[in-house]
Amino acid sequence: MILDHLTSGAAGPIQSPSTSDLSRRSFLQAGAAAGGGLMLSLNLPLANREVEAAGADELAPNAFIRIGGDGQIILTMPYVEMGQGTYTSIPMLIAEELEVDLKQVRLEHAPPNEKLYGNPLFGGIQATGNSNAIRAAWQPLRQAGATARTMLIAAAAKRWNIDPASCRAESGEVLHPPTGRTIKYAELAAAAARMPVPERVVLKRPEDFKLIGTPAKRLDAPSKVNGTAVYGIDVRPPGVKIATLAQSPVFGGRA
Amino acid sequence: MAITIKVNGIDRTIDVDGDTPLLWVLRDVLGMTGTKFGCGMALCGACTVHVDGAASRSCVTPVDSIGKSEITTIEAIGGTAAGARIQKAWLDREVVQCGYCQSGQIMSASALLASNPHPTDADIDDAMSGNICRCGTYVRIRDAIKQAAQSN
Repeated sequence: MILDHLTSGAAGPIQSPSTSDLSRRSFLQAGAAAGGGLMLSLNLPLANREVEAAGADELAPNAFIRIGGDGQIILTMPYVEMGQGTYTSIPMLIAEELEVDLKQVRLEHAPPNEKLYGNPLFGGIQATGNSNAIRAAWQPLRQAGATARTMLIAAAAKRWNIDPASCRAESGEVLHPPTGRTIKYAELAAAAARMPVPERVVLKRPEDFKLIGTPAKRLDAPSKVNGTAVYGIDVRPPGVKIATLAQSPVFGGRA
Repeated sequence: MAITIKVNGIDRTIDVDGDTPLLWVLRDVLGMTGTKFGCGMALCGACTVHVDGAASRSCVTPVDSIGKSEITTIEAIGGTAAGARIQKAWLDREVVQCGYCQSGQIMSASALLASNPHPTDADIDDAMSGNICRCGTYVRIRDAIKQAAQSN
């Protein structure tokens, strides 16, 4: 849903989020998810400094990562997939840093909630447009994946009573190469949720990317060839009625 | 009025006016939202379903015109041989972009393949010309239909 009247009126020059912007704000908060899994919420950066200065500290989280006991990583997405590929590219950002296979990452639509999911660049309206979804997600969603990975490694190291630096993550598991031990994320999710959120995480170097920059099958395609994809017109909130205009069958007709 | 129609092999009884478009019955009464509303005037093809195997625009099909005919929608097209091949080819060729028209595209393509296992380019044009895609996936649609035909 590109809102031309809003995008054309965005105040001030658009600026890319910088590292200093990101460090001023705590992006990630961890807590025990309802199912005993690891949940990370994050604030996506604002691309406009004026808007950021106005209310950055009060900005509610507008996206969530959940790692369930089944090992599935679920991202609740405030941005709409309109054919531009965000439902594939954004999971790639997370999966890259989290060291999981792309097929393990699943996206959910964000529910209608402007307080949680409003786009500050559009005056708090929950909207997608301005070609800013992937631009805004580039650093914080990799950071989110790296943070979750760091906490999972920490949980594994604590269980094994070893130095986290001797472990690494790969394909949804934490490995301890010296002893060959492995443990799946699903088994670590609950313990990882109780680990402290690291203040700084190390992002992968571009030359180490396995997913970013490679071709990928669209994650939304299967649901769009069997009718299960949910578009805006398909949403049925409880109690909402279906209405249509009764149009006069003749030109100039009167009731 | 109570009307019974057979949708994807199951008899469904609904209480609607007889001139209610089949599309409204599918989406709003039966909650089957895979079939899309586009124009409401049979101009775009987004609402295409099969009526006894023939591609039909459900937005202009009054529900009381269906009688004993069998309705097949995108939700069940994978259960037909042609539909399953079309769906696989659609994924192999990454046909989908935004995807909104693709339920209708797949229903038209499946009807074509079921009646004409080896369509020519002209056959594809004839069968698919009523299905509009704003993303412009037409080239991949043609490729996917040919792939599905070759896998016959």
